Amino acid sequence: MREELLREVEQFLYREARLLDERRFHEWLGLFTDDVRYWMGGRSTRYPPSSKGITVLDRERRESEIEDELAILDETKMTLGGRIARLDTGMAWAEDPPSRTRHIIANIEVEPGDTASELKVYSNFLVYRTRAESEQDFYVGSRQDVLRRVDGAWKIARRKLVLDQNVLLPKNVSIFF
Amino acid sequence: MAADVTRLVDVENGRISRRIFIEREIYEQELERIFARCWLFLCHESQISRAGDFFSTYMGEDPVLVVRDTEGQLRAFLNVCRHRGNRLCRADAGNAATFTCAYHGWTYRNTGQLVGVPFIKEAYYGALERERWGLVPVAQLESYKGLVFATFDPEAPPLGEYLGEMTWYLDAFFDRQEGGIEVVGGLHKWTMPCNWKLPAENFAGDGYHVTWSHLSAVRSGFGGDFRVGADPTGTALSPGNGHGVMLVGAHMIADPPAPEILAYEEKIFPEIVKRLGPRAGLFKPVAGTVFPNFSMLKPTSRTFRVWHPRGPDKTEVWAWVYVDTAAPPDVKEAVRLAGVRVFGPAGVFEQDDMDNWQACTQTGRGVVARRHPLNYEMGLGHEGYDDDLKAWASEYRFSESNQRQFYQRWAQLMTAEKWAEIKG
Repeated sequence: MREELLREVEQFLYREARLLDERRFHEWLGLFTDDVRYWMGGRSTRYPPSSKGITVLDRERRESEIEDELAILDETKMTLGGRIARLDTGMAWAEDPPSRTRHIIANIEVEPGDTASELKVYSNFLVYRTRAESEQDFYVGSRQDVLRRVDGAWKIARRKLVLDQNVLLPKNVSIFF
Repeated sequence: MAADVTRLVDVENGRISRRIFIEREIYEQELERIFARCWLFLCHESQISRAGDFFSTYMGEDPVLVVRDTEGQLRAFLNVCRHRGNRLCRADAGNAATFTCAYHGWTYRNTGQLVGVPFIKEAYYGALERERWGLVPVAQLESYKGLVFATFDPEAPPLGEYLGEMTWYLDAFFDRQEGGIEVVGGLHKWTMPCNWKLPAENFAGDGYHVTWSHLSAVRSGFGGDFRVGADPTGTALSPGNGHGVMLVGAHMIADPPAPEILAYEEKIFPEIVKRLGPRAGLFKPVAGTVFPNFSMLKPTSRTFRVWHPRGPDKTEVWAWVYVDTAAPPDVKEAVRLAGVRVFGPAGVFEQDDMDNWQACTQTGRGVVARRHPLNYEMGLGHEGYDDDLKAWASEYRFSESNQRQFYQRWAQLMTAEKWAEIKG
């Protein structure tokens, strides 16, 4: 992968993070393709196959994958737009007063995508959220994006987010990632 | 010495003391007299459908392991090793014939029987009576239409009696079609900085908050129009024993606004009436709570959940999405999406609730704020027994009738030494 391309992708993701931290959600939505799937899952705890903590009775009982779990977010561009429209109503109480966020994006890796106009991009996120007087939360996890070149600009065509917590410690997920 | 809560709950005048939402002493008494005594929801049978399947949950703050044993029988025990009290099973769910404690290696069969103790001959000289040291089982376990409940109190009335007329309303949520319901995927688990009773009473009877708390989500097209649309009808309904249900008129559309779901609901409505009887033709169920902490919802999202208490000012919610087993795949997918988008930690309706309940709990830390009781007088005197619905019903669609019934039951349980003293 060319150094120039890596820098371009990094700068794209940092700019995206800044739009979120500055609550420029309409501009942020413009970074997605019309066919985007924006998905967030959580983590459940299972015994690893090698564990001596249990003896398995039914070997055919398949261990669940992250994708089998109930998603936390499973959005289209339209429903993301609906969420942003909700924030604009002046009655979205979970965001009134608004969250103050700091999106830290790290461990960025870029790989070729399935087509010549796409890239697979891996990254980690650490999002700090503080709100009102003393509320604070950390949202930490992984991101897998598909970036697509559309009319000369990068757009996000797929975003898969996995939060590392099992029982989420924040009271809600009222922000974007 | 138990705290006297009788003066804290005045349902005659609709006044509830804030002390019951914040004080540690009252919370500890709830763990004893509510959570170690009532029938509590554990899981849905579809989660543990095969022999060996297990699911880890809680009853109050007690960790509980629910299993379908090797013979296929449902069982539930404290998820606690009898030796040093270590948590036995560390996973959320899975399949196992035996469980071995990570500390010293004591091994239990999925029937709860203690079958393995390392060095039992040498170190215990054969004197350890293994049969006496099995996992501590719940006192009673029963399933109602796939919903698995248990109680730690051997004197608790049978589940059917405890639920009473609520069973019929549970059918209206969970047994509308042959095959009942199944759960979709896993579940959402998250933490709410609020007292557990606030969400429980909200689902039991607070139709009132939807028109303001959730108006942003309604106006952004996520459903719930039935609450703010023209000519709304409905009632808050108490089938007894502290349980509560909210209903809306049968002519109203109270479903997620997905075309697949709306077409499906229209099609099956006559079938539901045929299956459940004419009472099902009088209304549509919206939400409800089985006392104390199992709640359900049907419009906007199909979810049921447990509000696990985690201290006076903390609740852990475990929320599932459910769908009729008989529904076609496109309806199931639409129900899953509505479940994720509208309720749950990121749900456009639900995220606003947590924020309100948090502050309703935390302002009670102020000793002066705590001196002033909360107002639960909405609809006092405008409620009565409805022969058709076989339950106590409010006249107007918004009423705090169900909350008053909830707290009356709460006060009865908190005051009574044992089940025999509690009126049905």
